[in-house]
Amino acid sequence: MITPIKALRKNRFKTALIFISMSVSISAIFLISAISGGVVSMYSAMLKTDGDIIVTQKGIADTFFSDINRSMCDEIAKMEGVREAGALILGAAPVEPLPIVGIYGVSENRFKSYTLIQGSTPKNGEVIVGSKLYETLKHPKTIILSKQKFTVRGVFKSRIGFEDGGVVMSLEDAGALFHKSASIFLVSLDDLTKSDTVIEKINLLTPDIEAKTTDSFIDSYNQFKIIKTSSDVIGAMAFLMGILGIVSMMSMVVNDRKTEFGIMRSIGLSSWVIIKKLLAETLIIALVAFCVALGVSLGVLELIEHADKFQGYINGEITVSLALNVFIVSVVMAMLGTLLPAIYAARIDPMTLIQRGGS
Amino acid sequence: MRIQAKNIEQYYGIEYVLREVNVEIEAGSFTAIIGESGSGKTTLLSILSTLLNPTSGEVTFDGKSVGELGNIDVFRRHNIGFVFQFHYLISYLTLRENIALSALDDESVEPLMESLGIGRLAARYSDEVSGGERQRAAIARALVNRPAVVFADEPTGNLDTKNALGVYELFKRFSQGGTGFVVASHDKKIAEYADTIIEMEDGKIVKISKR
Ligand SMILES: Nc1ncnc2c1ncn2[C@@H]1O[C@H](COP(=O)(O)OP(=O)(O)OP(=O)(O)O)[C@@H](O)[C@H]1O
Ligand SMILES: [Mg+2]
Repeated sequence: MITPIKALRKNRFKTALIFISMSVSISAIFLISAISGGVVSMYSAMLKTDGDIIVTQKGIADTFFSDINRSMCDEIAKMEGVREAGALILGAAPVEPLPIVGIYGVSENRFKSYTLIQGSTPKNGEVIVGSKLYETLKHPKTIILSKQKFTVRGVFKSRIGFEDGGVVMSLEDAGALFHKSASIFLVSLDDLTKSDTVIEKINLLTPDIEAKTTDSFIDSYNQFKIIKTSSDVIGAMAFLMGILGIVSMMSMVVNDRKTEFGIMRSIGLSSWVIIKKLLAETLIIALVAFCVALGVSLGVLELIEHADKFQGYINGEITVSLALNVFIVSVVMAMLGTLLPAIYAARIDPMTLIQRGGS
Repeated sequence: MRIQAKNIEQYYGIEYVLREVNVEIEAGSFTAIIGESGSGKTTLLSILSTLLNPTSGEVTFDGKSVGELGNIDVFRRHNIGFVFQFHYLISYLTLRENIALSALDDESVEPLMESLGIGRLAARYSDEVSGGERQRAAIARALVNRPAVVFADEPTGNLDTKNALGVYELFKRFSQGGTGFVVASHDKKIAEYADTIIEMEDGKIVKISKR
C-alpha cells in the first residue's frame, strides 16, 4: 500500500494528469446518469402517483402531441372497476419573461392533487402556479399566457420538480390555449389486478385511443428511451475518454520508468507482480478520483436544482445504486486503461539495462 | 552450481561478435572477463546470464539448458543476481526497500546491509548517498537471495579507483563465502582479485588463466 503511494508521489505530475482525466470522466458519467435518471423518474413519479392506466392518442410519439376527446373520460369513469378518471392537457408556453413554462390543464376532479399553500382552486380565467414559478416571477397577481391574462388564484407545492415550476389551469382554458380537447386521461382503479380488463374495454371505445398501464407506458415511452439511450451513449463516451486518458498517460509513465521495471525483471519479480504494482497505483488514483467526482457531482446537482433558469426541470439525484454502479465503472476504467501499458511494462527486457559497446 | 557454455556463437547481421566460445564457471569462484572495448565481454556475460539467447551453442546450469530451467523469473530470483554499470536503484524507495524488493527472506536484509557497510543508510533514498554506497546497495540487492552466481557488467564503470577496489574486495569476500561472480570489466586491476581470468579479443577467448 505504501509503495504504490510512493511511486505516485514520485511521478506527481503524471499522477495529477491521470487523476484529472479520471475525475472528469467519472463526474461526466455521474452527472449525465443522474440528470437523465432524474428527469425520467420525476416524470414517471408524476404519472404513477396519479393513475394506474394512461390513455393517449394511438401511435403518438409524445404525450405533447396527443389529442383525444375529453368526453370519453366520463365514459371511462363510469366503467366497472374504475375509481376515478381525469383528463389532462400537457402543454408549454412562454410566460413573460420566461421563454417556456409547463402548462397543465386539468379536469375539475384533478385539482386536489395539487397541494395549495396559498389561495384557492382556480375557476375559468384563473390559474394556480407552482411555488418555484411563483418565486421566480416574484409573487405575480396575474400572468400573461399567449396574450391572454390569467389571475393567479393560488400557489401549490409539488414534490415533482418541474410541476413546481409550472402553471395549472382548468381543462377548458388549456383546451382553448392549445386547441385540443385533452392530451391524456389518467385512470385509477379499485383493483390493480383488474387492469387488463379495463384496458381492453377502453381500447374498444374508439380505434384512435390507446390505453396502457402507467408502468408499461413508462417503459415504452419514446422520450424516455431517447433520454436513456443518449445518456448511455454519452456515458459510454466519457468512459472511453477516461480509458484513453489513462492508457496514454500510463504509457508515458511506463516509458519513464522502463529501467525500474527492467530491474524488477532482472531480480526475478514476475510479470504479474509488475502488472499488479501498476494496477494498484491506478486503482488508488481511481478511488480518490471517484470520491472527488462524487463530491463535484453532488455540488453541481445542488447548483442546478437551485438555479432559477432550470425551474426544477433538471433535477438529478445520485442514489446509492447509481454511486455503486459508477464506482464499479471507475474501477473497470482504471483496470482496462492500465492493463495494456502494464503488460508492456512487464515485458521489458532486462537486457535494456546493459550498457552496450564502448562504454 | 556449474555453468557451462558450449560452442557459443553470436552474430549480428553478417558479423560475428562471439565465435567458438567455451567456458565453465564454478560456484564460489570469482571470474573476470577482460578485454578491449568491443571484444564481446558484455555479449558473453548476457548470454551466460540468460538475458540473451545465443545464435548457436548452448548454456547449461548444472547440465540443464535454459529451456529446461522452468519459470525463468523463479530461476533468476533464486539463483542469479545482477549488478549493472549503473545502480538502477528505484528512486522512490529507500535503500532497504530496494534491497528487500525481491528478498525471499526479509530478515536477511539488515545483516546483509551491515556486512556491506551500508547498514546505517537503510532509510536513505538513492539520491541521498554516495556513488560507492549506491553501488554497494545494488550489490546487496543482487546478493539478497544468496544466488549461486552474480553477473556484473562494468560494475565499477561509474566509480573512482578507491570505490572500485572496494567493490572487487566485496566480490572476493562473498565468493569465498560460496557465491560465484562473473564480472566483465575493462579494468585490469580486477585481475588481482579474481581467481579465473578470461581474456577476450575480437569475439574469441584468447586466454583463460586460473590462480
Ligand atoms: N545489438 C547489437 N547489434 C549489433 N552489434 C552489436 C550489438 N550489441 C553489440 N554489438 C557489437 O558486438 C561487439 C561486442 O560488443 P560488446 O558490447 O559485447 O563489447 P564489450 O566487450 O562489452 O565492449 P565494452 O568494453 O566497450 O563494453 C561490438 O562490436 C558491438 O558493436
Ligand atoms: Mg560492455
